[in-house]
Amino acid sequence: MSRRTRLAAFKAVLVALLLAFTLFPAFWMLSSAFDARAGSAGKGLLPQEFSLENFEYVLTEGGFDVFLRNSATVALVTVLASAVLALLASVAVARFRFRFRTAMLLMILIVQMVPLEALVIPLFVQVRDLQMLNTLLGLIIVYVALSLPFGIWMLRGFVAAVPKELEEAAYLDGASWGRMFRSVLLPLVMPGLVATSVFSFITAWNEFIFAMTLLGGATENYTVAIGLKQFFGEHSNDWGAIMAASTIITVPVMVFFVLVQRKLASGLVAGAVKG
Amino acid sequence: MVDLVNRPPVASGAPAPAAAGGPTRPARRRRHPLVAARPWLLLGPALAVLAVLLLWPLVRVVLFSLQDYGLREIVSGEPNWIGLANYGEVFTDPTLYTVVLPNTVGFAVLAVAGTVALGTGVAVLMASLGPLWRTIVGSAIMVAWAMPAVTGTYVWIWIFDADRGIVNSTLQALGLQDDPVNWFTNRWTFYGIVLLNVIHHGFPFVAITILAGLLGVPKEMLEAAEVDGAGPWRRFFSIIVPSLRQVFAVVIILSTIWDFKVFAQVYLMPGGAGTNREALNLGVWSYVESFGQNRYGFGSAIAVLLTLVLLAITVVYVRTLLKEEEEL
Repeated sequence: MSRRTRLAAFKAVLVALLLAFTLFPAFWMLSSAFDARAGSAGKGLLPQEFSLENFEYVLTEGGFDVFLRNSATVALVTVLASAVLALLASVAVARFRFRFRTAMLLMILIVQMVPLEALVIPLFVQVRDLQMLNTLLGLIIVYVALSLPFGIWMLRGFVAAVPKELEEAAYLDGASWGRMFRSVLLPLVMPGLVATSVFSFITAWNEFIFAMTLLGGATENYTVAIGLKQFFGEHSNDWGAIMAASTIITVPVMVFFVLVQRKLASGLVAGAVKG
Repeated sequence: MVDLVNRPPVASGAPAPAAAGGPTRPARRRRHPLVAARPWLLLGPALAVLAVLLLWPLVRVVLFSLQDYGLREIVSGEPNWIGLANYGEVFTDPTLYTVVLPNTVGFAVLAVAGTVALGTGVAVLMASLGPLWRTIVGSAIMVAWAMPAVTGTYVWIWIFDADRGIVNSTLQALGLQDDPVNWFTNRWTFYGIVLLNVIHHGFPFVAITILAGLLGVPKEMLEAAEVDGAGPWRRFFSIIVPSLRQVFAVVIILSTIWDFKVFAQVYLMPGGAGTNREALNLGVWSYVESFGQNRYGFGSAIAVLLTLVLLAITVVYVRTLLKEEEEL
């Protein structure tokens, strides 16, 4: 065997191992979700009895129809509110020079790193004082705050990338600042705004610790991330249902994720990768 | 693509070239009170939200940590100062040294090393593949990346389930063990599963980022080194690693920040929510003490310590970023 074919074979083995490791959990989730007898001992790689039974159960008796609606409401309102706030703030830091601008940016960067475990105690007390425990509104307000720093940070780059000359041209044509914002800046920043919104959608959809803490007792207000707990029994767990529900949660995230992944990765590295 | 997002706003600060002889600026741009206030008007709403919902809570968690803050104090709103007693208790608690710190720091070290090593390996592999296979591998790791932490954790629990999990049934079918093993009761196998979960979820970001950097390393440099007789390892460590130092720094720091505060991946595991004291890490300990025992003051002290650790790492991160961009 020549050196070249040996190298190719070696690479093929590596790729096969990598694909197996990467895809196995997702495959196993799907295989169990579509298996009517997922919970029985010695389940094989493929479903023993292919059926949609688990999905039916999850969406009716399991209450996931309600949880899905709650999660969608929370995520959409969060996205709209944080998109507006983040866009305005990012225009301020990207287009204007003012005192404390750098301090503001550093604060936004640092505040992203604060662990949720540290925020959950005071925010629990705060939301409780506002009498908004167990309500979706309380959760939405917290999520808007959580997705803002990253949103501002990412949009700042998109706004800065719009050539300043386009704005000046609009002014020369007699446009006011508001008109320029609507007709020049907004359309050009739209792709970035979509990417950022998808990111805050994913954050709100996946979030676990606040949903668990703030919605504690109100089962009817559960979001999907904490609704999964329903299927864990005292002695045995309904794995078919858990995997079907996990599939339902994961699919929208995967679709959105593929749409924005490039922008997400580059937003995080923030200029460290330069071609 | 990469540059588009965060190109530093170089041109925005510089004055526009003045037309010869004419007025340097259009009259419209004269400083008007409204114009000076405009950035603050734009920033105001977001700033108000951040101040009330992120900064004030951060101050409050520090205030709570200096009190014996329980249910009674939450209901009455009365302060109950006890100075640094909570911190004293944290630092004298043997759990901190035997369980929590090893589970937090030791775990983070292993997870970062594993994530970065695997991510770099995958990036190098992807760089050597043709376009078709690179797309296939890229899509596959995207699936791992996009899996939400909560559902991903449940899938790993199911894979290692004591009664009917595929790991136990496979090992038994192969005759490697006689009875099913409960992987979650032992501290080492418990964190082994968390490690697998976190690396599986975390390496795609590292791989994609480093791949982007790898593709940017000038081909001529590598070819020149090859002509000079440098082998693949030598080329990797003498050319690629130094030119990607900045990328590696950012990837390592971000992974460290993320792996220090793993919560759902531990909390959701059987016994991870406090019943198995051996499995506590800083974040889970803080949460369990607060919401399980109603000792919000003590939990806040732990949370403050976790925040300080992360803040220190963040300072390093910000300095790394600042080195790259002259201005934010």
